[in-house]
Amino acid sequence: MVFLVLLSITLITLDFRGDGGGIIDGLRDGASDALAPVRNVADDVLSPVGDGLQGVTGYGSLEDENASLRDRIAELEGDVLESEAAAEELDEALELLGVDFIGDIPTVAARVVAAPVSNFEQTIELDRGRDDGIEVDMPVVSGAGLVGRVVQVSGSRAVVRLVTDPGSSVGIRFVTSNEVGVAEGEGADRELSVGFVEVGVELRRRELAVTSGLNDSVFPAGIPVGRVTSAETATGELQQDVSIRPAADLDHLRFVRVLLRTRSSASAAPSTTTSTTATTATTATTVAP
Amino acid sequence: MLLLAVVLHTAVLPQLRIFGVAADVLLLLAIAAGVAAGPERGAAVGFGCGLLADCFLQTPFGLSGLTFALVAYGVGTFQTGVLHSAWWIPALTAAVASAIGIVTYVGLGVVVGQEQLLSMRVVEVVGVVAVLHALLAPLAVRAMRWAIAADGVPGLLLR
Repeated sequence: MVFLVLLSITLITLDFRGDGGGIIDGLRDGASDALAPVRNVADDVLSPVGDGLQGVTGYGSLEDENASLRDRIAELEGDVLESEAAAEELDEALELLGVDFIGDIPTVAARVVAAPVSNFEQTIELDRGRDDGIEVDMPVVSGAGLVGRVVQVSGSRAVVRLVTDPGSSVGIRFVTSNEVGVAEGEGADRELSVGFVEVGVELRRRELAVTSGLNDSVFPAGIPVGRVTSAETATGELQQDVSIRPAADLDHLRFVRVLLRTRSSASAAPSTTTSTTATTATTATTVAP
Repeated sequence: MLLLAVVLHTAVLPQLRIFGVAADVLLLLAIAAGVAAGPERGAAVGFGCGLLADCFLQTPFGLSGLTFALVAYGVGTFQTGVLHSAWWIPALTAAVASAIGIVTYVGLGVVVGQEQLLSMRVVEVVGVVAVLHALLAPLAVRAMRWAIAADGVPGLLLR
């Protein structure tokens, strides 16, 4: 027993320090690739069963979600003009900052093939990997907005940490107020909490938050992250408690796009600005509240 | 049997969630090993199950190995002191050991810098996993007893 405890501590230390000589990473990659075909089949066969179980246990929440979605549709129809104005402001901000934009970045499409193995991690697994050009820290997006970033990659698979994972943090910018903050995950089915927003900054409900792209972030600027649901200030606090609802529907992901962009490639490439108002407007208007 | 358990753990059970929580078959096998084989051998099997689980997690490699080994050792020690094994004891043992195992995993995770594990989510996971493992325990213990077998050859686990 003592030997096992010591061996465990040694393995944890080696993995933490990255001194395993790549053996531990190789073991993980090999295990992921070896089980990939089985997990593909299991996903195809069992996802209807899983959906059925989720429907049974979450019937009440499904009814609430249905009613909420109907309200959202009505609100979205009235938000079109507001989003167009926000898109114009975003274009102006991007031109001023001279940051890269998603439209110029090569991407690879991938299918979500596996749910998280752990009950504590908010991750998904994609059917693309290193062989397709994917590397660790690459951003992942859906049609609605930011999904997360790649945290592990093998030859044919990639594991993505979702923005709702408690270990996830994203630098964001509120489009209307131009205030910056850091959005952190709070777990499955929970809104993101935003820190470093000063008291006195006026944030409107449903204000769009996009990735800021600042401080050599792995996420390029301009990717929709979510919309403000609440912004409160407790007495005596120096920061606001802000919550945003993720733009991407993380519970029903089937297909995503991996941005083939790393920190090193982003730093090496010359800054380019694009004026893609139509694309921006489309992106902004498809953000789910 | 471990290969089957890995397939169940990574490919089947993540699709079958109740309130967003799935059973942890590798933890259950570690507990079953403690029940069926005693503390020392149970700890060895639990360690192996934990390392297999770590292959598919983002937490430090060895964290699950350490947790499962400790849980299996504790279960084996407890079972050694039980003179008469009623039919409900394995189920109760699995439920309690699962709860302790999950809390231990989170606690050790926080110690090695994985603070994101500590949240109210732990309560949900403990509740659902304990119930699921209590239901699956009789089957798991029976399978583990078969695998560890009369001749006590751990290699049967690899079948």
